[in-house]
Amino acid sequence: MTAPTDRDLIVRARRGDGDAFSELVTRYQINVFNVCYRILHERGEAEDLAQDTFMRAYNRLEQFDLEREFGPWVRRVAANLCLNHLESQKVSAPLDEDRDADESQRPEKQVEARERSEQIRGALASLPAHYRVVVELRHYQELSYDEIAAELKIPLSDVKSHLFRARKLLAEKLHAPD
Amino acid sequence: MHLTDEQLNEYLDNEIPDRADIESHLASCADCAARLTVLQSLFAELDSLPDIALSTNLAVRFASTGQLVPQLPRWLTLTATLQAALALIALVAAAPFVMNLLPAIETPSFTEIFFRIQSQWLNLFTTITNYQLPNLPTLPPLQIPTLTLSLALAGASLLWLVGNGLLLRKQIR
Ligand SMILES: [Zn+2]
Repeated sequence: MTAPTDRDLIVRARRGDGDAFSELVTRYQINVFNVCYRILHERGEAEDLAQDTFMRAYNRLEQFDLEREFGPWVRRVAANLCLNHLESQKVSAPLDEDRDADESQRPEKQVEARERSEQIRGALASLPAHYRVVVELRHYQELSYDEIAAELKIPLSDVKSHLFRARKLLAEKLHAPD
Repeated sequence: MHLTDEQLNEYLDNEIPDRADIESHLASCADCAARLTVLQSLFAELDSLPDIALSTNLAVRFASTGQLVPQLPRWLTLTATLQAALALIALVAAAPFVMNLLPAIETPSFTEIFFRIQSQWLNLFTTITNYQLPNLPTLPPLQIPTLTLSLALAGASLLWLVGNGLLLRKQIR
């Protein structure tokens, strides 16, 4: 027996089958959580927002177009929720130091790679909320400029300026001589 | 003239139509080629970011709910429809009784109605005051419709309660 398709699971979930929706969550939770983590850079918050994303997705399942793919859709929902979350908070980006810093037991190479990852995440987290989300949608969700503009309901010119400025800032942070 | 940052970005994003023009400039200009390389390495770094693992399983919450409240599932919509249908049937069923009462209603003036209601209340009060247990035999003709009516009312209320209860129950946050 082959595994049910996303579409099958959505149809069953719409009828109230919790297990079917749970299976969808199992399939996409890592993706969705990582969207949230890249934007928020805080594990607890990212897990909360990932959970909220699936709640939102569940509540909008009836409107979901079965011809589209669930994965990309739910990841866009996550990016939007994180943006709303950041905008409602309006706090300055917290410091990078105290985040997921348990590296004591790892081999050196791995620590190095992990440190670089943390630098990238830290650089992302230092960007304004809108920039982070545009970078997320372009680099990790591979949306076109037009798709990003539609998704965030902002003009195309803003998509470009946010994205290009974000890249400039990231490059400055990451390629700065030590 | 050198390429703008915007052109380089759009080129790497595949959002520029005249790619050939850009490429011919890049082939002949070391400065712009170097700027492109910097941008490309940033793209590569962003791509290199690994996914990290979750500390909890988000699916558990949905699985443990078992039967979630679906968005207007058919059977629940049917319950509402059923309620409406039952109400209609009850109305039709009650019609004969109402019809029986209708001939008794003429088209009196308001004062007359008022007076009549008042006298009926008085009658009711006197009946209640004079009510004696042995008088029961006078009631039977009323008893059947009353019973049916109460049963119908009880049934309708029950259905209404169950229907609404189901609607509100097990709503996930
Ligand atoms: Zn040039």
